Amino acid sequence: MIEIKNLTKVYKLSKKKMAELKTKETTKKAANNISLTAKPGEIYGLLGPNGAGKTTTLRCVATLLKPTEGAVSVCGYDTVKEPEKVRESICFLTNEIKLDPHFSPKYLFQFFGRLHGIDEATIEARRKELFEYFEITDFENKKIEELSTGMKQKASIAVSLVHDPKVIIFDEPTNGLDIITARNVTDLLQKLRDEGKLVIISTHIMSEAEKLCDRIGIIIDGKKITEGTLPELLAETNATDLEDAFFNLYKVHHKEEK
Amino acid sequence: MKNIFKKEIARVFSDKKMIFSLFILPAILMFGIYGLMGMLMDNMVSDVEEHISTVYVQNAPEGFEELAAQTGYDKLANINYLAADTSAEKVQELKDSVLNGGVDLLVIFDKEFLAKAQAYANAGDPIPSVKVSFNSTLNYSSAARGTFNGMMLGGMETTLLQNRFGNLDLLTVFNTEEELIVNEDKANGEFLSMMLPYLIVMLIFAGAMGLVVDAIAGEKERGTMATMLLSPVKRSSIAFGKLFGLSVLSVLSSLVYAVSMIFAMPMMMDGMEELGGSVSLSPLQIGELLGIIVSLVLFNVSALCLVSVFAKNAKEANAYVMPLYMAVIILGMLTMFNTGGAAPAMPMYAIPIYGSSLAIQALVTNELTLVQFGLSAGVNVACMLVMVFAISKVFNNEKIMLNA
Repeated sequence: MIEIKNLTKVYKLSKKKMAELKTKETTKKAANNISLTAKPGEIYGLLGPNGAGKTTTLRCVATLLKPTEGAVSVCGYDTVKEPEKVRESICFLTNEIKLDPHFSPKYLFQFFGRLHGIDEATIEARRKELFEYFEITDFENKKIEELSTGMKQKASIAVSLVHDPKVIIFDEPTNGLDIITARNVTDLLQKLRDEGKLVIISTHIMSEAEKLCDRIGIIIDGKKITEGTLPELLAETNATDLEDAFFNLYKVHHKEEK
Repeated sequence: MKNIFKKEIARVFSDKKMIFSLFILPAILMFGIYGLMGMLMDNMVSDVEEHISTVYVQNAPEGFEELAAQTGYDKLANINYLAADTSAEKVQELKDSVLNGGVDLLVIFDKEFLAKAQAYANAGDPIPSVKVSFNSTLNYSSAARGTFNGMMLGGMETTLLQNRFGNLDLLTVFNTEEELIVNEDKANGEFLSMMLPYLIVMLIFAGAMGLVVDAIAGEKERGTMATMLLSPVKRSSIAFGKLFGLSVLSVLSSLVYAVSMIFAMPMMMDGMEELGGSVSLSPLQIGELLGIIVSLVLFNVSALCLVSVFAKNAKEANAYVMPLYMAVIILGMLTMFNTGGAAPAMPMYAIPIYGSSLAIQALVTNELTLVQFGLSAGVNVACMLVMVFAISKVFNNEKIMLNA
């Protein structure tokens, strides 16, 4: 269970950043009073354009960032007060977070298993299961740097699942992957959901959100505009597909800002 | 913490290139440099000794050849006798050869040298002279002049004086007895104490530099640091694990430096005996040296970590580290010009890096007191603890760790 209550994240802007954004304000609100609840057994999707605040929100959930205002709790633990407890039950995947290219998937699986305080027998069992699922058993002793992009992604997903997390946070899961690998990943997310895990992802790809997500929260300019299941969203905006629905909302809410 | 520590170690030991550059290269480098230095110096000295100098002598007095044969000088030098009527141009030509090294020595005796010398009776009588032309910038020429003065002119002078006075003791007003009182270790260490601290301090820093920059800023750049930050391990444990892993590696690397330096030293000593300087360390001194090196490594690694943490990528970290490297070189160099004179004041030992450098210097000349040792090593460790505290604080800073 993830509960986000009135999450606001303010970044201080450096002079250089201010010039880049052509703004005179010294701060930027990446997330503005976002509240949402996601429950086990569902895939919750944060949908929004680039720079809307999706990644910031997910990073706050993953304890990497501290909220400026509001609070985030994961499985009942507050991300600021008990970050270690939160980290025990989550896994956070993004394209920016990578595995050390110098080591083999097998070594890293063991390494992170130990960091999570799991005993060797369980690590071994989990490794067999996950490596077989991802078909990386044959490559488990190769260095990460020798693997293909798809293999790397698979390996990093496998490694991040070593501790059987209850909550899976995935920032743009299919970004940069070919169709086959992307399909593998989305299949996996559905499998995890069916096992009763809570999956929360961010995406800017409409089709992905349509197919994958049980509930979708639309974020524009740091604010959560609306949320609901696909039919609910379509009904709300009188649209036939998610893309139209999104643009209807975007036109209204992006204008308001200006 | 143990796991991260192990991983840092495994990182290096599973990479042949890293092993080579951290552990094998320094040894080769040390043996290579010292061996080469020793060999070259040895060669230089023996080469000069073995060189048969080319000497031109004009107006050689009677008995010169006999004296040369008697003293064996004719075997050390190729003596060419010039006729008394040799033209001024020819003499000038020979002087030019002395300048460019073709001829080592040109000796011109006054005409009737012996007669003048023997005829001297009263003040005001002419005193004959001998003109020796040599080139002080050329080793062969300088050596030839020294040998000629000692073996030939000295011998002739003695003979002539004996003839004039009969008893040479008449010329001796008093005897001077000089007794050399020096601390053997200090005299021997003087030369080394100039170079050694600088070398050690610099090499230790250089050894740790690449390692730390890669392990901190490199990991940030590759995105692997964030993976670590997501594990349910305290940030301070990550900082400590990394720091100790890197320290152990740096210590090992600098031990290779130190050990190979100690073993390679005799290779250089061969050539250096003539120049004065050899060093032997007692077990206590070796212990102190290790203590200084280890504390210095801890200081360096934590300083480097602290600086690298602030960098977004390895390139930036290298730019940040450079001024630090400069400072280390300058501090190390300061001790080079510290030889001789009074011992540095106690507070000086409390300056990180400089203090260690001074301590190594004092160690080589056998002057290091336990208090000085404790102070310089203690300051390093204390600084390390402060920096580690700062590092774990920084590890908790989202802005710096995630470039957010």
